[in-house]
Amino acid sequence: MKRLVLLLSSALILACNSPEPDSTTRNTLTVSATMGGTPDPGFRRVLKPRNFEFPADHAAHPEYATEWWYFTGNLQSMHGERFGYQLTLFRIGLRPGAAAEDSTWRSHQLYMGHLALSDIEQQQHLSTERFSRAAAGLAGTQANPLRIWLGPWSISGSSGQTFPLTLSASSDTFSIDLHLRASHKPLVLQGDHGLSQKSAAPGNASYYYSYTRLPTSGKIRFQDRDIEVEGNSWFDREWSSSALASDQAGWDWFSLQLDNGQDLMFYQMRGKDGQPQEYSQGVLVDQQGRAQKLSLNNTRLKAVDSWTSPEGTIYPIGWQMQIPQHAIDINIEAAIADQEMLHTVPYWEGAVTVSGSHDGVGYLELSGYSRN
Amino acid sequence: MNKQRFPRLLLRSGINYQLRHRWQALLALVGITMGVAVVLAVDLANGAAKASFALSSAQLTGAATHRIVANSGQLPAALYSELFTAAGHPPMAPVISQTVTLEGYRGRYRLLGVDVFAEGGFRNDLPAAIRGDTSLGDWLARPDAVAVSSSAATALGIDLNSRLTVRHQGQSYTLQVLLISDNDSVASRDILVVDIATAQAISGMHNSLSHIDLILQADDLAWFEGRLPPSVKLLDIQQQTEGVVGLSAAFELNLTAMSLLALLVGIFLIFNAMSFSIVQRRNLLGRLRALGVTQQEINRMIMAEALMLGVVGSVLGCVLGIWLGQGLTTIVAATISELYYQVSADAMQISVYSLLKAVMLGLAGTLVATWLPARQAARTPALTTLSRAALEQSSRQQLPLLAVAGLVLVITGLAITFILQGGVVSAFAGLFVMILGAAMLTPVGLPLAQRLLSRLPLGGVWRMATRDMQRHISRLGTAAAALMVALAATVGVAIMVESMRGSVSDWLQDLLNADLYIAAEGFADGASLPAPVVAQAAELDEVAAISLYRNRYVSIEGQRTRLIAAQLAAESRQGFDLLDQRAGGAWNGYDSGQIMISEPLANRLDLKPGDGLSLASPGGDIAFKVSAIFRDYASEHGRIFMDLAVYRRHWSDNVVDTLALFASEANQQHLHLAVTEQLADQHALEFTEARAIYRESMAVFDRTFRITEVLRILSIMVAFIGILSALMAVQLERRKEFAVLRALGLTRAQVSLLIMLESVMLGMLAALLSIPTGMAMAWVLTDAIQLRAFGWTMPFIVEATPLWSTLMLGLVSALVASLYPAWSASRSHPAPQLRED
Repeated sequence: MKRLVLLLSSALILACNSPEPDSTTRNTLTVSATMGGTPDPGFRRVLKPRNFEFPADHAAHPEYATEWWYFTGNLQSMHGERFGYQLTLFRIGLRPGAAAEDSTWRSHQLYMGHLALSDIEQQQHLSTERFSRAAAGLAGTQANPLRIWLGPWSISGSSGQTFPLTLSASSDTFSIDLHLRASHKPLVLQGDHGLSQKSAAPGNASYYYSYTRLPTSGKIRFQDRDIEVEGNSWFDREWSSSALASDQAGWDWFSLQLDNGQDLMFYQMRGKDGQPQEYSQGVLVDQQGRAQKLSLNNTRLKAVDSWTSPEGTIYPIGWQMQIPQHAIDINIEAAIADQEMLHTVPYWEGAVTVSGSHDGVGYLELSGYSRN
Repeated sequence: MNKQRFPRLLLRSGINYQLRHRWQALLALVGITMGVAVVLAVDLANGAAKASFALSSAQLTGAATHRIVANSGQLPAALYSELFTAAGHPPMAPVISQTVTLEGYRGRYRLLGVDVFAEGGFRNDLPAAIRGDTSLGDWLARPDAVAVSSSAATALGIDLNSRLTVRHQGQSYTLQVLLISDNDSVASRDILVVDIATAQAISGMHNSLSHIDLILQADDLAWFEGRLPPSVKLLDIQQQTEGVVGLSAAFELNLTAMSLLALLVGIFLIFNAMSFSIVQRRNLLGRLRALGVTQQEINRMIMAEALMLGVVGSVLGCVLGIWLGQGLTTIVAATISELYYQVSADAMQISVYSLLKAVMLGLAGTLVATWLPARQAARTPALTTLSRAALEQSSRQQLPLLAVAGLVLVITGLAITFILQGGVVSAFAGLFVMILGAAMLTPVGLPLAQRLLSRLPLGGVWRMATRDMQRHISRLGTAAAALMVALAATVGVAIMVESMRGSVSDWLQDLLNADLYIAAEGFADGASLPAPVVAQAAELDEVAAISLYRNRYVSIEGQRTRLIAAQLAAESRQGFDLLDQRAGGAWNGYDSGQIMISEPLANRLDLKPGDGLSLASPGGDIAFKVSAIFRDYASEHGRIFMDLAVYRRHWSDNVVDTLALFASEANQQHLHLAVTEQLADQHALEFTEARAIYRESMAVFDRTFRITEVLRILSIMVAFIGILSALMAVQLERRKEFAVLRALGLTRAQVSLLIMLESVMLGMLAALLSIPTGMAMAWVLTDAIQLRAFGWTMPFIVEATPLWSTLMLGLVSALVASLYPAWSASRSHPAPQLRED
């Protein structure tokens, strides 16, 4: 259950749609404040596993409150420069049910997008955010051919099949144009057949599946040059109507692609006391795509390094992870210390480097640390 | 003698003189004060109107630099979606902007439909307001959500969750105040912000937008190349608002010219007061010269005195002007709101620049007015032996010179106006030169009047009074000139307004010749008639003929210009007063796809029948041939008539917004009833008879010229004070003379009568002379200035009322001004007055 970053249900505040958000007017909300409160009973809850149907389930599920399409990846140019990217489209159901039909612009669906680029060589992290209602063709999804879009940002498949996927998005200062091909690894249903429980209360769960390794090639445009890149992406899909339990503060989420072909996802739910909670869990996907569950019982996670943001938020950006059962003992280090996403809801999301028993790359997300 | 000390003594002498002649000094002061006050008041009112416009357009455009608008006025909403989903688009905000009314409130309000997600960079109020407890979900999902500024909430007396009933095109919508943004600008008081979806529902613009606002950097323009269809235009926001500013410029210029006229009258008053004080002091000045005071020193002394009066008068004028300005701002705001755009009356800002300008004008006017008297004073011979009689003699000798100079100025003024054919400013300059010339001619009238009046077989006091007219030329001349200028201004403006009113009235009566007009309720805000109404109306037995109209705006050289597509019945065609037409007939051309344009448009674009005019249609620009030019006072930006079928072909718009119905002879009484019975129940319609439209139009006209009326009254006040000051000065100075007359046996009543007769003669002379001057002024105003400012011509209509009321005004003000001098002269005892010498 990674990115429940944004259930901007009842108190969403708008950051300007301007390309460089002004940090003084930027809204800051803590994750638990945003996600606290009871979900609108009009939204459907995730109570039992479902039979996923594709490509239909790749498109939006407006009967649930929130949903996202989450892409991260580590890429390299021909000259060996390393880049990380993130493209996420969030769907936020403002109200359950159909909108009033008085106008083609009326909608209960809001889309929010985050786009980020990490230039590891130059230690630079750029990011931007945008919003739109899902009406009048401004934002939305369609199943076939698959297309999820928010203004000019789009994730599009080809007719009749999901892959290859084309991601296209830009900010004032950079853009990405990437093709994600299918690999031999199938999609992984997280949790119990795709139902990922977040806390003890029934319905506090999401439908969650991942493509853990998608060979990626394409172009990024940055500092007035077009850079051909190649690498691997990770694609997470999740939707739900639940909020954090009242004692939960946020989570630390890892998606790692190891050089030996294994992929590892683990999230640690944190209580307001800062302690990991039992609903923390993960999955280890082997070279053939077979998944094995991980839990707090067999995974030890320890923060070893931290970075303090200019606003005083302390993020644990260096970790040690031990999974003795799989002979994994790795160090996870941020490729750039400052990969903070200072937007409507502040969080840290960035490229990481794996060393130790295994080498590799990945992405780390830290939410619920900002106290502003 | 101490060079330094003497001028100070001189100055003190000057001050003492003014203090001893308090009344005289006071009246000179009043002249300056009133002149400065009127100029400042008009300047402040104009400034307020301009600032208010800038403010309200800033509220509406926010940070936008450019705007995409459609030639048809309705921008396809799909264009926004297309641009919004294209990579690299610059910041854009879709806008629906409509005029609405609010139930229970007066005036019109601006319904602004926006997309909150696009607003951030443009108008920050709304995004900032959706904070705290307000739910974004409510804002977007509730079809009744409305946001207002804090200043609007105060003005409307509403609070959060209050309900407002919006009326638009005959429909009501109840909205609930969900947000009050922190914006106390008065310019946001008439803005109601709703989500763009709500605005679409209310306006019925389901697939269209009013415009798209943009924030563009220099190189962003290229991005739009190839992305915009020919039916839309990308405009600079400045360009877009300039059209609106331009339209009030003519109005503003008229006001300014009238205020300068008031100053001109004020300058005459100063001139009058100063030259009088010099005549009065000639003995003192002669003695000073004998004591060795140089000409320059005398000159400087007089100028210094005037300057002091000028400073005090200007300062007082500023105080009075600010007070007057408040009143004028209210009137100007009402007029501009009526004609052009919403202006709030409390927008007046006292700018240092305006104050400085008014003070500088006051001082400059004083110095100009004093220049001649000061020169005259400096030339006073040492230990003068010059008698009053000799002085008047020399004044009389200068009369022919004055007459020639006056004539030259009058001719020059008219030449500047009519031969130079410049703009409005040169026409006004010519007008001022002409008035100055006429003022110089006024003293010439005094001996002429004397010659005429003395022929009357009246004796005694009458004869004495007529002779005095000539004896006191130097003093009475300028007073008469000042009064003449002020009266002429009132005659000129009155004739202009009358001519215009008459022309507009005739034109409306010709034009509004149908028996009944039908429009959808909310027609003024763009409501159109339901198609069945048009068909049903034509079918009615009582209807003998019908004309169909579709009104819309096209942009011509950046100026919003009304385009009326009309299917005109023969009766409607008779209402047109064609000024110029193509050979072969205007209507033949009209029926075959040519257009008719109004006189102001023809003048603005310099078009003649047969010329081409390109109009932006949804399919791109189309060149139309002009078949005729018609007289029109509806808009100074011009109007275009086009056959409805031609319009429908090019604009693909089948809407009709007004109908004109003509009843058959027998049915004239029943038409209204029959039509209302058949149509009113099914639709929200407005039925108006021609005379109601006429009444309303004339009411608007009269409201528009209310400001002119106010300025007229102000200049009459200045004139009245002028004649009062001149007469009192003259008569008070002649106390000794009256004492002699009393000693010679004249009764108190006879002395009083003498003074009053003289005043009345002077007043009548000024009034009589003001009539030709005023008519010349009216001629310049109607034939040159109206044409250049608004583009229309009008027949020159002179009615008797302004003429005889001016005569009465001259008479009454002269009579009133003489009351105090007559009273005081009659009361004084001859002995002490005579003993003084």
